[in-house]
Amino acid sequence: MARMKFYCDAERCIECNACVTACKNEHEVPWGVNRRRVVTIKDGEPGERSLSVACMHCSDAPCAAVCPVDCFYTTDDGVVLHNKDICIGCGYCFYACPFGAPQFPENGAFASRGKMDKCTFCAGGPEEPGSAEEFKKYGRNRLAEGKLPLCAEMCSTKALLAGDANVIADIYRARVVRRAASAMQKGVPFQRATLAPQPDLGGKASASE
Amino acid sequence: MQASTILSWTIGLLLVLLLAGAAPATAAPPPAADVPNPGADLWRAVRQRDDTLWPARTQAPRPDDAVLIDPAGEHFRQFRRERFIRYAGWGLAGTLGLIFLYFVLHGPIRHEGGDSGERILRFRRLDRILHWVLAVTFLVLGLTGLLLLFGRLLLIPWLGNAAFGPVAEIGKWAHNLTGPLFIVALLLFFLRFVGRNLPALADLKWLARLGGLLGKTHPPAGFFNAGEKIWFWLLVLGGVAVGISGVVLDFPALVDAARQPLRLALVVHGIAAVLLLAASLGHMYLGSIGMKGALQSMISGYVDANWARAHHLLWYEKLRGRR
Repeated sequence: MARMKFYCDAERCIECNACVTACKNEHEVPWGVNRRRVVTIKDGEPGERSLSVACMHCSDAPCAAVCPVDCFYTTDDGVVLHNKDICIGCGYCFYACPFGAPQFPENGAFASRGKMDKCTFCAGGPEEPGSAEEFKKYGRNRLAEGKLPLCAEMCSTKALLAGDANVIADIYRARVVRRAASAMQKGVPFQRATLAPQPDLGGKASASE
Repeated sequence: MQASTILSWTIGLLLVLLLAGAAPATAAPPPAADVPNPGADLWRAVRQRDDTLWPARTQAPRPDDAVLIDPAGEHFRQFRRERFIRYAGWGLAGTLGLIFLYFVLHGPIRHEGGDSGERILRFRRLDRILHWVLAVTFLVLGLTGLLLLFGRLLLIPWLGNAAFGPVAEIGKWAHNLTGPLFIVALLLFFLRFVGRNLPALADLKWLARLGGLLGKTHPPAGFFNAGEKIWFWLLVLGGVAVGISGVVLDFPALVDAARQPLRLALVVHGIAAVLLLAASLGHMYLGSIGMKGALQSMISGYVDANWARAHHLLWYEKLRGRR
């Protein structure tokens, strides 16, 4: 079975926030909740990098571990989902998540937060797939229609990748190799770059020797 | 010297010369490449939240949102699942076990001569009301807190997830609403009883004899003996700890709903609460079946004169002396 994961390529992310907007629009996420967010490091300085982060759908999810009512479950595809009918809005999952994925729509007195909401990998929830009830609570279920998450589909530079972990890893590995090859071949375009020995390098692996 | 010795020494010397001769032949290792890897620096900064060197910005509104990876979340998870639930569970069970053992071996504490029939007023109506309001809020908070701590482990196998959710939600609401009531009750209780719980010399002597467990006679005590005073101060200090952390947890806006302060509050809250619960088990035991006459004192307010003379001699004498 596929193991679904996200990967955001920091070299390509241009902080356009299309992923944030796409997700928020598609799932009609409540006010104040941003299932996905883009964080920029070294903003305005050389070496600026941006990353898009939402739920990472951990194999050993800390949110699921600390939940006092055990409302989380992992699908066969490795997507971590939860049941809003059981959720009591205690906030422990928010405390435990290293990525800050769980969010709450309310900020009331006596710790009334409402039900936890987070990225579902566009896989809905425990309700009937594609039903109105599911859309109201969890948003669109794209995985049931055989589609991938909208944030990755919408990414303007294909920085955000979503899908089977092996496929994602392969795509990213190819990018890393081609980038290095492109640099070594003095800026040959990405698509044509290769680490295979070239005639003009005289058989040497690196032009810097 | 023997031939074998000469032989072994020669071979050894040859080996040494060989190795020494071989050393200059291998080139000195080339200097390590001193090119910093920007990728490694980036990910280290992401993980360590190095806000000064590598400030992070985001358009998302929460104060924590600029943090990409917060490792302290995992500490919280490990604390709760691997340590707190385990130690709290065994600690509370162990305390119950010790109390049970004491009850079986020693039985209820009785006073010499039994009841005389003469009754003395010990707790006025205000004292009793304050005590019971505090006790009820404490019990509600303790039980609902235990529900949230152990429910997943002990109740979900019985009720199932779907049924336990609403139970836990009611528990959470009861807990969060009763919390401030407990704080007010504790404050009033403190003001009313602090005067009778100040340390005195008699307390040292009482403690030295462990309240009468050591030695033959019952050591004298004032209105409250040292054991009761210790429980009072434990309750007050523990109550302050659960109270302050509870207020932070009940009103996260006070800390901008940031993760680290709320985590810290929850950890303090849990530890103080479990310690209070364990101590309260002892108090509840003594106040009910553990000592004859104790529960009556808090229900009717009256105690028997023999009871007073046996357990709180200094208070009894002061009462008699005034008459």
